Amino acid sequence: MLAFIRGQLISIAFVVFVLGLIFHFIQFFRLTRKKEWAYPPLEIKSQKKTPGQWVTSCLASLNGTLWKTYPVVTVMTSVFHVFLIGVPLFLLGHNMLLSQSWGLSFWSLRESVTDVLTVVVIVCAAFFLGRRLFLARVRAITTAYDYLVLLIAVAPFLTGYFAYHQWFDYRTVMTIHILSGVVMLITIPFTKLGHMLFFFLYRFLIGTEYSFARGARAW
Amino acid sequence: MSHQELKPVDTKQIQGMLSRKKGKMKRFLSYCAHCSLCAESCFLYMEHHKDPQYMPSYKAINSLGKLYRKNGKVDRKLLTEMKGIVWRNCVLCGRCYCPIGIHIPSMIAFARSILRSQDVYPQLDEVSSESWL
Repeated sequence: MLAFIRGQLISIAFVVFVLGLIFHFIQFFRLTRKKEWAYPPLEIKSQKKTPGQWVTSCLASLNGTLWKTYPVVTVMTSVFHVFLIGVPLFLLGHNMLLSQSWGLSFWSLRESVTDVLTVVVIVCAAFFLGRRLFLARVRAITTAYDYLVLLIAVAPFLTGYFAYHQWFDYRTVMTIHILSGVVMLITIPFTKLGHMLFFFLYRFLIGTEYSFARGARAW
Repeated sequence: MSHQELKPVDTKQIQGMLSRKKGKMKRFLSYCAHCSLCAESCFLYMEHHKDPQYMPSYKAINSLGKLYRKNGKVDRKLLTEMKGIVWRNCVLCGRCYCPIGIHIPSMIAFARSILRSQDVYPQLDEVSSESWL
């Protein structure tokens, strides 16, 4: 059983993860079409600015954005999402296993760095949990499913931290760590965890007022 | 009893409408992270002392979300409750902002279409009696 969890199950999870994402990517392009119209580009000539004016205009451009209305949440969520994806990819232990299995790996961060970043992810998750529990507006739309999704996202980091520091029984913690990682990979394409990736499709490819790029597609 | 309350709900028609836009709308609903970051982009939320009922996500989840969750099998009482959410609590100004890129106004507009198909919509005398404006 343990050999299956540490071997084939991880491969199955990767296959489901990749195929699930491909399926949703194809569905996205099937559900959207090229826009037939576009706003004409604004013709605003930028004037030369002094450094002071430049800083002022940059700060002014934050007005009405989440950086201005919810600065703490914006920083926490940005950090959380970047490290949630980055830490497992550039973790030395993961890359050694990848190298052993497939003969290829990413470059790795120092273990002391990933250890701290893991704590950062856990702290951010605790912050999100606190928002869900204590903020009326978040509680108003929170269901048990939201807590489950948060648990799925943070469990690999918690168990990974325990395993690295060899807290509790190492083999048991490591098995739970692998299982939680497998659950996370499998659920990403089929649950709201998918927003981590579909955020890029929606904000860059769909043309709306709030697009980050000049989105050329419409629903 | 008004005409709106008498007509039975046509579940098949609602299901047909839900199914036509299922691909887009179910994606919107399932990728909503329930983060509430859309709240302050709604002027009605701000004007009503930050009452969560006026949050764009709350309105979408409790109207269209409920319709999908119940697969269109809803009674007139629930549709009437939704009427308040999608007409009184939202003016469809289109200013709501979702960090993930979910287009909330299209969800509210779609919920309105479904309700309208069942003859559930605000009526002039109702507007004055309930002080909707």
